[in-house]
This record gives sequence, C-alpha cells and structure tokens, in this order.
Amino acid sequence: MNTEAIAISLDLINRHYQEPNRNRYESRYFWEELYPLIAAAGFSTIEMPYEPVWQFGGRTGVPFNEYCVNAKYENAANYRAFLKDNGIEAVTGITFDPNLFMRNDEIDFFFGATGHFGSQALSHAAEMGADYLAISPSAYYGRVAQYHPDIDNRMEEFAERTIKMLGTLAEKAGELGVTLVLRNEYWSLFAGERIIPIADALQDGVKLDVDTASLFVGGISPESFIASNIARIGSVHLTDTDFVDKGETWKTPNPEFPSGQATQVYRDPGTGSVDLAGIAGLLDRLDYNGPVICSARQTRDPFRALLRTRALLKTLSI
Amino acid sequence: MPNIRYANMSHWKTIPYKQIDNFREFYYEDKTNTAYYSDWDTILKYQSALGFNGIEIAPWDLADLVPLFGSAENFAAFAKDRGVEVIGMFHGAHASHDPAHYDEAIRAGREAVDTIAKFGGQYMNTCPTQNYCGTGPLSREEVQQCAKVMNEIGAYATDHGIKIGLHNEFFCAINLPNHRELIESTDPKLVHYCIDTAQIAIMGEDLCTFYSDYHDRISTFHLKDTASAGQPDSVRYAQDPEITDDGKRWFWEPGMGQLDLKGLYRLLKKHEFKGWMSVEYDGSPDLLASMALTRHYLDNELRPIYD
Repeated sequence: MNTEAIAISLDLINRHYQEPNRNRYESRYFWEELYPLIAAAGFSTIEMPYEPVWQFGGRTGVPFNEYCVNAKYENAANYRAFLKDNGIEAVTGITFDPNLFMRNDEIDFFFGATGHFGSQALSHAAEMGADYLAISPSAYYGRVAQYHPDIDNRMEEFAERTIKMLGTLAEKAGELGVTLVLRNEYWSLFAGERIIPIADALQDGVKLDVDTASLFVGGISPESFIASNIARIGSVHLTDTDFVDKGETWKTPNPEFPSGQATQVYRDPGTGSVDLAGIAGLLDRLDYNGPVICSARQTRDPFRALLRTRALLKTLSI
Repeated sequence: MPNIRYANMSHWKTIPYKQIDNFREFYYEDKTNTAYYSDWDTILKYQSALGFNGIEIAPWDLADLVPLFGSAENFAAFAKDRGVEVIGMFHGAHASHDPAHYDEAIRAGREAVDTIAKFGGQYMNTCPTQNYCGTGPLSREEVQQCAKVMNEIGAYATDHGIKIGLHNEFFCAINLPNHRELIESTDPKLVHYCIDTAQIAIMGEDLCTFYSDYHDRISTFHLKDTASAGQPDSVRYAQDPEITDDGKRWFWEPGMGQLDLKGLYRLLKKHEFKGWMSVEYDGSPDLLASMALTRHYLDNELRPIYD
C-alpha cells in the first residue's frame, strides 16, 4: 500500500468533549500551528469534518464549514493555498453527520436540516477539491429513540425519508463531481450491512464507506465486508478499536462513550484489535485505489495519535 | 441563608458520561487526567466541594445532556443529589429585532422557558439579538421590536415563575449606542437584567455606574473579570470577536483582571442585593482551576465586603 497517499482525518481534534484547555481548539492559531505538524508527521492530505455548529456558535477559528473558511480566509481557494503552503497538498474528503439535528420529535426538522446542511457540505467539498463527502445517513439510534421511542416500528418510514434525502444529495454530488459515500457506524439505524439496501435504492454513483472499527464492533468482519463490496467502496477509514459491545451500547444515547466501560469505541490506529495490516494487504490484493484515511477519532492525545498513526503506517510500507 | 448564593454558568462543553463508576480502570486506560473531566458526577462534586451550589445550564448542551439523562427532570434530580440545583439557563433570542422573525423568536423563547421549568430553574438570562456584525447598527424601530419580543417572552416567563434577565454581550447588535435604550424600553415588571460584569465593561459601560443606575432591575449576575474594558467599535463590531485568532482572553477569573469588583460588592451591600450569582469561566483553559481560584477570591476579598 502506498502509505504516502493515506490521509489523516482532522476528527482527531476532539472539539466537542471536555478536557483542560479544549477552548484552544476554537482559535485560529491552534489550527494554523497544527497544519505543519500534520505535514511533519508525514501526512500531506487531510480529511475534514463539516460541522455547522461552529457557524451557529460564531467560532470561526474552527475551519469546519464554509462560513468559517470564508470568515478567516475569504474563500476556499485562499484556504487551500494556505494549507498547501503549510505542507497539506489536498483535502481528500469531507465528513458529515446529522446528530446535531436529532434534537426534538419533529422528523421534518431532522430531515430538512440534514438535507440542507448536507447540501452545504457537498458544495464545500467541491470547493475544497475533495474526492468525496462521507455522510452518516442516521443519527445515533439511541438519540433517535429519545425523541421517537417508536422507532423500531417506524424503520420503514425513516428509511424512505433517508433515501429521498440522500437521493437529492446524490444528484447534487453528481453535478459537482464529488462522490457521495455512506458511512455505517455501529450505532446507526443503518449499521453494518443494513446500509446495503439504502445504497441499492440510490444512484449508481453513490458508494460505501468502510469504517473498519465500526464494522468490527458490529460483529462484521471488515475483510469480508470489503471483499463482498469492493466494487462499490468509495472510501476506507482505517480505524481501530478494542471495544466489544456486550450490552447493546449501540442503542444508548451516547454510544461513542460506552457507559460503564473505560474503553472508548475508537482507539488510536495500531493500538487496538483490528488487523489494519491485514486489511491494507487485502485492499492491495483487490486493487483498491480509492481514498484511504486514518482516523484517530476520540483520541485522548491528538499529537501522540498523529505519531502513533505514522508509526503504524511505517509498518505497512513496502 | 447568605444574601448571595453562588452558581456556575456551565461551560464544560459536552460531558460524555453521567457517572464513571470504574475510575481506576478508566485512569489506567491512558494514564491521563481525562477521567477527571468526563462525567457529570465528578463535575458536580467539584462544584459542591467548592461551594457553588447552583448550576446554570447552557442551551447548546441540551442536545447531548437530555438524552444522556433521559429528561431535564432526571438531570436536576441527579444534580440535587450532589448538592447542586439548576438555577436557570442561558438563551439567545436570535433575530428578535426583526419583525419577520417575531413568531420564531417568541416560540423559541417560550420553549426555552418551558425547558427551564422542567429543570426547576428560576432564571433565563437572555441575549437580546445576535452579533452586531451582519446585523447592526439597529434602527430605533428595531430596538423597539427587540423590546417588544423581550416583553412578550418576559410575560410568558413571569407566568411560569421564571425571571428573564437581559444579558448583553460586547459584540451584540444591541451595543453601547442602544444598550440602555433597550433596557428602558422593556417593562420592568416582566424583564429584568443579568449583569455580565466583563461583557458590559468590554462594551464600554462602567460596571459600578451601570449597577448603580439599574440596581432595581438586576435579577442575577454573570460574574467574571476582564483586563480589556472599553474596546473600540472596530473590535466589538468585528466578525465573531469572542474567540480571538491569537488566543487572547477577554475573560478572567475574579481578581485576575482590572474590574472594580470590590466596588461592585460595596454597591451590592448598599442596595441589599439578594439572590443567585453565576460565575462564568468562558475562555478559561482549566475550569476546575478557575473555580478554585474564584472561590478563594470570593471568600477572602469579596464576601467579607457583603454576603
């Protein structure tokens, strides 16, 4: 595997959860110091989350939506040039999840806001020159159940609304030349292989994302999933985990932080139980040459995670 | 019962756990201080231990907080078990200057009041509009429209046993030229005022003069210090000035800035203020350290003046 082409996801900076001096993540100086450090860790491409919350909050230092980028750099072209000057050659992809919009019992609000901001995320992805927008088609199951306790009886309705919303986004993605890829986190209404019927109902250009840790937690072999779906895989996230979901954590309101257990869902790549080397080898054998991203989501030390990830990738280099 | 009871405006961002029962296991997972800042049980214990027996909820936390506990009532009971009561919530009355958004602003304000009622709170500290940049300067009619919305929300809040207090930020569309005009355009029986000591000073009000002028309107405080009073229009009217590009802090722990907080306390004594006061640490790199420093300053410098 050509590890030089592997991107690092900026989801390694945990903007939402508390830790001492988390506030620094909201200032421009933090991010502008980070880019050269990413390059120094051997990554020349990045993936970025698209998070409207920083637009609502007026924290334009967080470069995670078009409003913030425009506020600080006037336009995406300037920002891309700035990244390039600091060793980041390209933004490989953008991610988007709709958890923010699952906050009441109004299903129209959820799908309306998700579609609206998902569309913004697509435009942003195009302006950033990204290959793909990786969208989570569902909020956490547990968060959906908080406001829609009858969700198990309404899966068909949610699936239909999801397909309709994604179909509109897929059409726009096609026009923009951005690949729409569907994430299937283990906490999703459409976890694991339940994503397949959703993808089948959409345009041919829509692809699947592979999140190796999420498949692992969901009890699905990432290798088998990749082998079965290689023709429709549009991005691969090399994520790691040691988590075993023994108590239906996937149904809880905050499944990224399993209650009662010290182990988070994600661990820094190379420090968990997923056979990332084996998966990289499989991707090579299957001639996969789409985007590959390392994600240290939920890391407790982003700078150590950067180097841990690079250390792992060095073991994969041929 | 002391004259002033102290609360914290919650700036902990998202706390992912209710309670960590396996603290040692959690520590050994990564041997960092993560566990000390990850669950509400521990956070509320810090508050209780340091004598902050109230908490003011942040509305941006609700999307995570409510599902984590199942309901606002469950969180309030959980906090109460640890010696902390929910005193209220912040609310941003977005676009309340704009007649086209009247219904939306009223609906959002009423929903926030209903939410506070579920938490058992008494205060709704309400920012009257959004940022100045992109909105200001406001016309006389827009200020009056804002007052109309505040009166309407204030009436609903009063009927539900909750006091709304105007809470002005230094970068809001309601700014120095019309700050007092808005206050005086609202009904004093329905709309009160929450003094954010640093925000109004940065905006250009003199803290002690302002309190003297409006002491009979004050429902509560956001107590914090600043070393940046009287910022010029170019700063206050800039795009998103609260989070600075270079990490400059607007807000400091009481005693760490330049505000005449002792003068304020002498005025509190003169006017016999009684009630809750929230301390706010937005911008602090370490909320627990800020909380402890504040408690020390309160006990040794401010409370001896009046409490």
